[in-house]
Amino acid sequence: MADSTAPKPSSSVKLVLLGEAASSLVLRFVNNDFQENKEPTIGAAFLTQKCNLPTRTIKFEIWDTAGQERFASLAPMYYRNAQSALVVYDLTKPTSLIKAKHWVAELQRQASPGIVIALVGNKLDLTNETSSSNPLGEDGDGEAAEGEDADGDARKISTAEAKSYAEEEGLLFFETSAKLGTNVTEVFTAIANAIPETSLKGARGPGASQAAARTEDQSRVNLTGPRDAASKEGCAC
Amino acid sequence: MFNLSSLVQKAQSLIDPTQALNISASDRNPAKSTLFRHQFRLPDSQTPLQEITAELTISPPIAYSPNATQGEKDRDRDRGYHYAGKLHLSESYLCFSTQPTSFLQTASTSTSSGFTGQTHGAGPGGNGFTLPLCAIRRVERLHSQSYQFALAITTWNGISNTSTNETSKTPAYQQKITIQLAGSRQACERFCDGLKKGLKSGVGEVGKLKRVVAECYSEYLLQGDGKKTGEPPDAGLGMLFRYPGDARKLRDRSKMRLWGEYLRENGRNVTLIRQPTFHKLIRVGLPNRLRGEIWEQTSGSLFLRLEHPTLFAETLAKYEGRDSLAIDEIEKDLNRSLPEYPGFQSEEGIGRLRRVLTAYSWTNEEVGYCQAMNIVVAALLIYMSESQAFFLLSTLCDRLLPGYYSTTMYGTLLDQRVFESLVEKTMPILWDHLVKSDVQLSVVSLPWFLSLYINSMPLVFAFRVLDVFFLEGPKVLFQVGLAILRINGEELLDAADDGAFISVLKGYFSKLDESAHPTSTNQKLRAVTRFQELMVVAFKEFSGITQSSISEQRMKHKDAVLNSIESFAKRTSIRNLGPDSKRLSTDDLGALYDRFYGILYERQMRSQMIQEETDRRLKASKARAAEVVNGLAETQSVEKGRVGLGPSPTLMDYDGFREFLAGIARWAITDSPSPPEKDYPSERDKHSYFGNSVRRREVSMSPWGAGNPEPADHEFMQRLFRRWDVDMQNALTLQNVVTGIAHIKGKGDIMGSITYFFELYDDDGDGKVDREGILRISEALLFLSRRGLEGSLTPSSSMTGLSEFEAGNGAQIDGPQGTTNERFLSSVSAFIRRCFEYADPDHPQNQETPGESTTNGTADNNAFGIGEDSDEEEDLLDLGPDATPKRGKKLTGLSSNPPASGKPDNDNQRSVSKAQAEAANAALDPSKPLHITLPTFRMVVLADELLEQFFESSFPASFRISDKLTPPGPASSSSSLTTFSNIGFNRASNAASQTAAIVGSSAAGVVPPGKGLRGVLDNIVTDGMRVAAEVRRRMDEAQKELEKNAVHRPEDDEDEEEGYDGPRTSGTYGGDAERRSVRSEDRDLLEGVDAEAMSIRGQEGVTEVKQNALSPTSPADPGRARSISTATQKVVEFEQ
Repeated sequence: MADSTAPKPSSSVKLVLLGEAASSLVLRFVNNDFQENKEPTIGAAFLTQKCNLPTRTIKFEIWDTAGQERFASLAPMYYRNAQSALVVYDLTKPTSLIKAKHWVAELQRQASPGIVIALVGNKLDLTNETSSSNPLGEDGDGEAAEGEDADGDARKISTAEAKSYAEEEGLLFFETSAKLGTNVTEVFTAIANAIPETSLKGARGPGASQAAARTEDQSRVNLTGPRDAASKEGCAC
Repeated sequence: MFNLSSLVQKAQSLIDPTQALNISASDRNPAKSTLFRHQFRLPDSQTPLQEITAELTISPPIAYSPNATQGEKDRDRDRGYHYAGKLHLSESYLCFSTQPTSFLQTASTSTSSGFTGQTHGAGPGGNGFTLPLCAIRRVERLHSQSYQFALAITTWNGISNTSTNETSKTPAYQQKITIQLAGSRQACERFCDGLKKGLKSGVGEVGKLKRVVAECYSEYLLQGDGKKTGEPPDAGLGMLFRYPGDARKLRDRSKMRLWGEYLRENGRNVTLIRQPTFHKLIRVGLPNRLRGEIWEQTSGSLFLRLEHPTLFAETLAKYEGRDSLAIDEIEKDLNRSLPEYPGFQSEEGIGRLRRVLTAYSWTNEEVGYCQAMNIVVAALLIYMSESQAFFLLSTLCDRLLPGYYSTTMYGTLLDQRVFESLVEKTMPILWDHLVKSDVQLSVVSLPWFLSLYINSMPLVFAFRVLDVFFLEGPKVLFQVGLAILRINGEELLDAADDGAFISVLKGYFSKLDESAHPTSTNQKLRAVTRFQELMVVAFKEFSGITQSSISEQRMKHKDAVLNSIESFAKRTSIRNLGPDSKRLSTDDLGALYDRFYGILYERQMRSQMIQEETDRRLKASKARAAEVVNGLAETQSVEKGRVGLGPSPTLMDYDGFREFLAGIARWAITDSPSPPEKDYPSERDKHSYFGNSVRRREVSMSPWGAGNPEPADHEFMQRLFRRWDVDMQNALTLQNVVTGIAHIKGKGDIMGSITYFFELYDDDGDGKVDREGILRISEALLFLSRRGLEGSLTPSSSMTGLSEFEAGNGAQIDGPQGTTNERFLSSVSAFIRRCFEYADPDHPQNQETPGESTTNGTADNNAFGIGEDSDEEEDLLDLGPDATPKRGKKLTGLSSNPPASGKPDNDNQRSVSKAQAEAANAALDPSKPLHITLPTFRMVVLADELLEQFFESSFPASFRISDKLTPPGPASSSSSLTTFSNIGFNRASNAASQTAAIVGSSAAGVVPPGKGLRGVLDNIVTDGMRVAAEVRRRMDEAQKELEKNAVHRPEDDEDEEEGYDGPRTSGTYGGDAERRSVRSEDRDLLEGVDAEAMSIRGQEGVTEVKQNALSPTSPADPGRARSISTATQKVVEFEQ
């Protein structure tokens, strides 16, 4: 497991991955020397990764759901009781954002009330703006992309479009490149930060703690919060 | 949501209760033929034909290879094996099992499912055989003292070797079994006759048999030792890439020897006889090279292959080069299927996997491809050929793992639920712990079931599970799963989250080959591996888990699982409806979704029921039933098409669309439902929906379902259907329907509504609607309004005719007039007039004769205006190019009321209008085309307040989505609607009949098909009027008040209407009904006054007709409707 450090309080967070091209993102996050489920995904793959925050350690228990359409009806099994969700779309495929929106709506309606949802546009490496402009300057990580100047811009979904949707729905929003590693860690760090502490008491518990989380969540889940410092800290990878 | 149980009840009530056994959901036992097929693993084509108690004697081999000459076998030769059991005969199989059970139709269901053998009905349990009749070489009748009948059966065992053996002078092994039949002489003879018949038809299959058998490894194995010739048959990738596991450790060689011996004595592949050793040999694990063949044999996929030996190759050839979504998905997974096995790192293995998955996706497009199938097939391919794996996959999907890989994966979810409930029952402490620590068991166990443990356990052990699974059926998966949890119970109680839970089990699986009792001092105990322990726990401790207990659990949880899938599907689907759906509320969308799929589902069920009913009547003994293991069997047959069950219909055809509209719009309910079968047996075939199949039945089964209103079939609905069918596939998706409704309902602006309507009739999209189109629009307006208008016109929008009627009156803004409906009728006629007035001629040369073209229009309009009163006479007289402006008044007269007809000077006019009507028909000549454009149409509509309101509110409001639409009360619908049908509308074409329904029922009986509104009007002129003449006379007496009003009429149209309106509003429907009932008394008088009617024909005809047309607008008013119906009925009698 991760290089566990100081005796910071540690808690585990269940995270469910939904949408297209999600697996590569989580593999990037988990990959290095952390355990990875090599088996082909049946239903969902289970992975874990630790994320060190200044004040605590978050252990992500990640359910990476199978990509095939028909497995969607199994999804409720996995997002049940999840405290966080990563809804990924492929920013070169317009349909994938539509699907992502459905997942968001599904989660908001069916998952536990306080769930922290991050909307992530993946495959930033296929656009020609990786080096020039980081749309997420506010996260202070514009230099992360080792830009290769691809000639064609395969981007089909503009940052503004997805971002405004995310703001409307109160989602965390990132554009990433799993291939290059752009913004990947930031996504998870931001999620870790957004999880209300009330829902972190020891092992995940249903009921009271989550109900409390719900109210607190409103203020926490927004992009412009003072999270820059925390995101610099980064995960333990 | 569709109410399932009531549907099922409805279904059952329509089916002869004594015969409904096979598809009844209340009877928890599946069809006997299904049980029979499962018991002997037979293809779907087989049904139990004969059965008889018998004793099987397996005579020892006559000759076999020299190495098997132990003393024990010599003894066997002397005495043979004897088994008592039951012998079954199907179309092409002879089956024997020691487990006494009956599958015949006459047997009670409990005897067919009551056995408790090793496999509990899920597989070829017990001792016996499943012998294709084509594998029987000869049957001799033996003379026997103790039994009446004894048959000696010689099989084609080893058929593929006979020729070579003969040349090499090795005595061919002959398998011979003896069966003594125990039964009455008659029963025995009947059985033998059946057998004889079957054998005869089986002779032709021997070639197939030879071919199929040649692919079995046993044939090669049993060739004379040391003299094996030719290449061994394909026994999977293992032959090229080695089989998984250490062959020595697996003791593969000794297993092979044991099997060799067994097969030599008991027959191989198709002629194999199951004896106790067989089950034992399977439990210890199959030898590599025979594994595929035994899987094929025990699962029954061998018999599928025997049915279509070339299906695999043919399928591949047939679809070569074709592309599909499934193929794309398969391609993505090929490299992720058992990648650790060397065979799947090679093109050879990948290629085989691709071909099997692809071929299957074509043969079962409903399932197509589901992730996890790649893993299962990859595993199969290690031990069997592509063709064998193809058929085994098919058996898996259809029978062993029902619904697992379907598009909703309901089978998977259902079995997870079942598994959870079994855990709760058998390991309550562990279950409590899981609940407390919030671990969902199925996230762990789902892959076990979905990939048959192949992905969870090391391969060698997963294959051992499969060995038993194919023989004993799906319960094995549950037993093994429970055993895993039981063995790891202690550690699992310490695990507090998903991660810990998973890692405990992962650790366990990785140590399956280690000793279960490593510290034991007992040598023997120490040698027991964890896997062996697992098998013992699974099959001993959980021996209570049987096929029937699983079926029971499946039944119990099925509805909850399907409901949750369906509500998930619904949420997803509604979100996917695209931007247009945003115009409708979520409630509306939900209601549309329910209605859409409810109708598709109901229709499918209904047609299936009708189909089954027909089948049943055709051959009562061969009722069809679905092919799923117990619990799902009968439910599937009834519930096919339910969303949760997987690929359900998503397209709505035109008939479904009609039904859909009838549910949300009152105008879409027909006025002329098909007559009851008893009354008009010969009319049945006129109903195209049924085709021929239904004519045979005596019981009338409405294609619309009992109690549902029968939808109308108007041209407007066809146009709407075509308009909504944007994909031109002659069917609508939910998306189409939602978009279609959103365009009508969601816009809320009148211009959009008008444009929409115009475009509906602008067939070629050139912005013009021709004469035909104008008339059709007016027909549609009448059609849509015939049950009253909704929205702002009738704000209370009450369903009772009375209050609606009053509301219509109360809502009048511009002074007293007739009812809303009557006013609307006049608006429509004004509409037609104005349309023709402002229409543009199509061709420049026509512009030179505008007078003529308008005359055409005028003449045509006169067909409407036949009931006009005196002030129109002037117009008619100076009819000509400049008559156009006055036509408006004339047509308004169309709405004039009965009293108006009592004019002395009408005779004069009548002859004129008659002439005009004739001219009209001539003038409709298409050589004088004209058209209106959208701006014209818009102007014409806006020129009339009522039409404006119609487009602004009533038309959109006539689609009622989430607020429940009350269908016309049963009383009124059965009376008034049946009345219409009695008139014989069915003979008229659809459009014509609907129009006729609007314009006039009494005249409709003689409407010639295809003439539409004009035809109807012509008929009104020629026929309906003589009826009306007498009506007028009676009216004079019975309706004095009205008569008085009529006297005022010459002065002014408006006055007349006002006058008429008085009694209407004050007397309300009482007077109305009275007036109508008067007409009912007319019938006996009509004939006498026929001549008189001739002279004044036409006038009252229209009014009479109009009354009838309008009456259905208050269908919920029983008193009124009934009186109408009696009136009309009698009129009809008269006319006939």
